[in-house]
Amino acid sequence: MFGALLDSARGGRFELQPAVPFATERSYVPDTNVLETTFVTDRGRVRVTDAMTLPAGLAPGRELVRRIEGLSGRVPMRWAVMPRFGYGMRRVRLGRRNGVPVASAGRDAMAICSSGAGEPEASDGRVGATFEAAAGARAQITLSIAHQEPLVFPSRHESDARLDHTIAFWQRWAGARTYDGPWREAVIRSALALKLLVFAPSGAIAAAATTSLPEQVGGERNWDYRFSWVRDSAFTLDALLSLGCAPEAEAFFWWLMHASQLTHPRLQVLYRLGGRASAPERVLDLDGYCGSRPVRVGNGAVRQTQLDIYGDLLQTAWLYARAGHDLDPDIGRRLAEIADLVCAIWRRPDSGIWEVRSEPVHFIHSKMMCWVALDRGAKLARSGHVPDRSLRVWEREAEAMREFIETHGWSEARGSYVRFAGASELDASLLAAVLLDYPEGAEQRLRATMRAIQEELADGALLYRYSGDDGLGGSEGFFITCSFWLVDALARLGQVEEAVEAMEALLAFGNDVGLYAEEVEPGTGRFLGNFPQGLVHLALINAASSIAERVGR
Amino acid sequence: MSIWGAIAGGFVGTLALTTILRGGSELGLTRMDLPFLLGTAFTPDRQRAKAVGYGLHFVAGQLFALLYYAVFAAIDERSWWLGALFGLVHALFAGTALVSILLPLVHPRMGSGQSAADSNPMLEPPGFMLSNYGDSTLAVTVLAHVIYGAIVGGFTSLSG
Repeated sequence: MFGALLDSARGGRFELQPAVPFATERSYVPDTNVLETTFVTDRGRVRVTDAMTLPAGLAPGRELVRRIEGLSGRVPMRWAVMPRFGYGMRRVRLGRRNGVPVASAGRDAMAICSSGAGEPEASDGRVGATFEAAAGARAQITLSIAHQEPLVFPSRHESDARLDHTIAFWQRWAGARTYDGPWREAVIRSALALKLLVFAPSGAIAAAATTSLPEQVGGERNWDYRFSWVRDSAFTLDALLSLGCAPEAEAFFWWLMHASQLTHPRLQVLYRLGGRASAPERVLDLDGYCGSRPVRVGNGAVRQTQLDIYGDLLQTAWLYARAGHDLDPDIGRRLAEIADLVCAIWRRPDSGIWEVRSEPVHFIHSKMMCWVALDRGAKLARSGHVPDRSLRVWEREAEAMREFIETHGWSEARGSYVRFAGASELDASLLAAVLLDYPEGAEQRLRATMRAIQEELADGALLYRYSGDDGLGGSEGFFITCSFWLVDALARLGQVEEAVEAMEALLAFGNDVGLYAEEVEPGTGRFLGNFPQGLVHLALINAASSIAERVGR
Repeated sequence: MSIWGAIAGGFVGTLALTTILRGGSELGLTRMDLPFLLGTAFTPDRQRAKAVGYGLHFVAGQLFALLYYAVFAAIDERSWWLGALFGLVHALFAGTALVSILLPLVHPRMGSGQSAADSNPMLEPPGFMLSNYGDSTLAVTVLAHVIYGAIVGGFTSLSG
């Protein structure tokens, strides 16, 4: 509906700003997902409070409330809503219902309700007005959105009450988080961002809220992240449990096991948030962010083979069971069948965790994650959560995997594990082996690999994710998730002071309200990739928790 | 036409419907599990939910068979193919309204289009035409209900 980031002409937008030159200051209302923007002008100051409200009473299907408060002086303001449904591809009809401007296209509609914000006029696909925000005065603009149902026209009083209710809900939710280590503000902000990435009807967590924000401005690395990746599952459950989010953890695990049932025992790289297995990729006729084309919806990675995700799923199940949750016999049987499948397929090449579009190879991270799959499968079997009839086979195959990794994945010349069998390149995903307890005997080699990654892929606290070809043109920026993984690995391997230093440096890369995109552009420090990115915030939480655990000892 | 024929048809038809849905699940065609959906409305315990759900499922099978019987009686016509037609309508109603809209609204543990950040539903909603549970779910559901209807119609018609 509002896609101006991807096409300033065809994408919709909602502008609200002073009609005179201004500067802005932004912050969240403490411990909430309610944003406050203060406009500072020569004529005075105005505060705008934005929230997607939670339902209460006869609420719209979805409601965006923007409260405008004059703080000082008299500031001329202007606003305009230009909704564009269906990625700007559908014709918008503007009209009025009971005097309220309404935009509609097929089964979607939006009412633009305003109070104290001028007399809105509707023309040329836009609804807007001008008004003056005087000190002490309040105005409000509310978007009431309906999909396949009649519009609800909320009164100002009702929307106002829902905004206050929403602030109170978020503060209660944030206050219930159990984390009490260092960088609490950044950790809670990350938790709040993750909560916004939860698809409430199913419990699935989206990788990011956007599609096609580019990994290289002007480049082709533009992907749709509005799906849930199995790859993120273990980190998700770890973070949710460490923050005391048991209901969210339970909902997510149930969703994951339900969604993956359709492709059982094989796993797909990603699933739709509603649980469907298909995510066909297509290109939209939009200009792209700063001309970065194509703009994609759907994700072709769904068809790839990635062996690492089996390790992620079984680690997720292990974390879930270890936290005291029951796995019913049906789930236990399915997990055992997945471990059996890993035994059958781990010798095959794959596309790896980063979904490279070059030819499949034997990625060492993938083999390590297959080992994790069988190790966690064995732990679940020994603790009685899954049938143990194949336990011996899993143990034997896990040993074979280790032999493969130590023989073909280790380079004596480099003194490091490498990106894929026989390669000399490095890959920051190998740090995940430290986070997921690749066997104790490998500690020296993991430590050496971590040093090699720091030497070759790092620039300060930031890491590139790999060196070498990935089948795509162009380049990419520093990968923030891997940078937090390095912090986590440093802490787990006992280098806590270095971890703290790197953590402090990385926290400085967050935006003005503590959110992160997927990557940072070398040189400029600006964000690249989709935003906000769940995996980065998961990695931040887990890195902070690892340090907190070790500092507390 | 005897009511006992409809009751017997309802029992056998529910057996067949359950077997087809379960078979579709094992074949990777669908994640639809009606007893599980019904049972989790009463308990979060998965095992107990399935046990409760199977009981409720068979009761529902009987109630629908009696509804079919009432319509047979009203129009004074019954046959296996008319039952199959009722089954088709029944499946489409389930896919468009009964299971896709009504169930999420009354089920305490199921998400719906109205779910927001202040809820943590443990079951995903089926979606329009049950598509969230797999692209083939509607086809499997229609097949199962058509066979259910044919059995209810056939038993009712055979009972005199």
